[in-house]
Amino acid sequence: MIQTKPYDFMVKYTPQRDWIEGHGILIAFALFFGGISGGLYLASLYFDSMLGMFVAWILAMVTGMTDMAHLSKPMRFWRMLLKPRTSWISRGFIFIWLFLGCAAVQLALSYWLPGTAAETAFKVLAGIMAFGVAIYSGFVVGFVGAIKLWNSAIVPILFVVAGLTGGLAILVLSMLGDSALVGDVAAIMRIVVIGYAIAVVIYFWVATYESTAARDSVTRIIQGSIAPVFWIGVVLLGIVIPIILLFTSSAAAALAVAAVCAIVGGVALRYVILKAGVYSPLLPAD
Amino acid sequence: MKWGMAIELKRCIGCYECVLACKAEHFLPPEIFWNRVLIGESGKYPQVTKLIYNVRCNQCADPACVKACPTGATYQREDGIVVIDEDKCVGCRYCMIACPYQMRTIYEDDNKQYFPGQELTEHEKVGKELYPHQPGVVQKCVFCKERIDSGMAMGLTPGVDREATPACVISCPTKAIHFGDLDDSSSEIRRLIKEKHGHPFHPEYDTDPSIYYID
Repeated sequence: MIQTKPYDFMVKYTPQRDWIEGHGILIAFALFFGGISGGLYLASLYFDSMLGMFVAWILAMVTGMTDMAHLSKPMRFWRMLLKPRTSWISRGFIFIWLFLGCAAVQLALSYWLPGTAAETAFKVLAGIMAFGVAIYSGFVVGFVGAIKLWNSAIVPILFVVAGLTGGLAILVLSMLGDSALVGDVAAIMRIVVIGYAIAVVIYFWVATYESTAARDSVTRIIQGSIAPVFWIGVVLLGIVIPIILLFTSSAAAALAVAAVCAIVGGVALRYVILKAGVYSPLLPAD
Repeated sequence: MKWGMAIELKRCIGCYECVLACKAEHFLPPEIFWNRVLIGESGKYPQVTKLIYNVRCNQCADPACVKACPTGATYQREDGIVVIDEDKCVGCRYCMIACPYQMRTIYEDDNKQYFPGQELTEHEKVGKELYPHQPGVVQKCVFCKERIDSGMAMGLTPGVDREATPACVISCPTKAIHFGDLDDSSSEIRRLIKEKHGHPFHPEYDTDPSIYYID
């Protein structure tokens, strides 16, 4: 962006652009893929779905690749493993790699040596790493004290619940042919979607009390330029339609629509949160 | 030793000389600023105050950018200056996101020039040789560490001797910007901050800046 007025800088609420505009949009997808990868793996462990675990592994790979695609210097990606002491990006990258390793061993053991102690051990290990993959993106965002909307302890919880919702949605899609099993998954998904809706409401509601900058962000989300994505993507597709369909129908088509809507809503949530992040002005302009 | 600045706001006339001096010193490409002059207003007519703040990286003692950097490319020297190792930066921009003062920029396009469609100026050509900027990595003010390091190697004192002092400080026509060692209780900058009640910019960010402003 050409700055024609160098003095017109940080004198009003300034939206962050680096992680949403241009190829910065990849960060929204990386946060989304990380969340549903972890959520799907944990849900697949519960329902013992090998297919779900495998898809979760693929999604973790996609998370890492999306993260790397966003880098200006992707060939230096290995350096991101070097600062886990303070950096949440570094910690998250390590979680992804460890999850990929543990889940690969677990999948191999589940296929060739099912029921062994080693399989159980690697399921536990991969499950822990999957939780790390699901939650780290929330801490990446929540760490940023400069952006008040993001700097909330609720963000990691919200991202985990959103990841679980997306993961269960994928599990529903993968089990549509098995009406008994898909019913069990849908039953859990009903509860999780309600939890997700509550987390979304609490997050944005609390943000309005956090600071004027966070309130400005919420105003942008509710009635500003981001409002269509929020109301249609996050609220309608991500919450309202899945809740209505999950609670009123058990038909495969209805469950499929609910699952797809929940997945799209998950992407919209990450987009909205990233897009609405603003910095407080350094000087008052008026 | 901890390098710091004190900026006397009443002396600053908003002439942008510090911005230009920084651009020239580091051969900064188009649209890249390592320091800026912010202009704002407070109050209501007829009691209006114009605010002019010359800002740059605060070289914070507890920098959010250093914590955020996943590679260790951003680190703090023993003298408090926060620097970026261009060969280690992956361009994830997390440091830019984390800085509450927004004093970091990423240099993306190596082909941008001040007069597009024309030849590079002599200054641009020399800059590409003397002070090459690596595209795809983050940049920011480094308190002219090259001047400090080479000056000290010659036995000069930063903040006192011109050759060892940041370009923005020596270029200021009103002497509004002071530079020196914050750890030296006898330094001019310590005296100024103490006597004139210098305060950091937005201390609520809790990063412990090394730049103080004097009202």
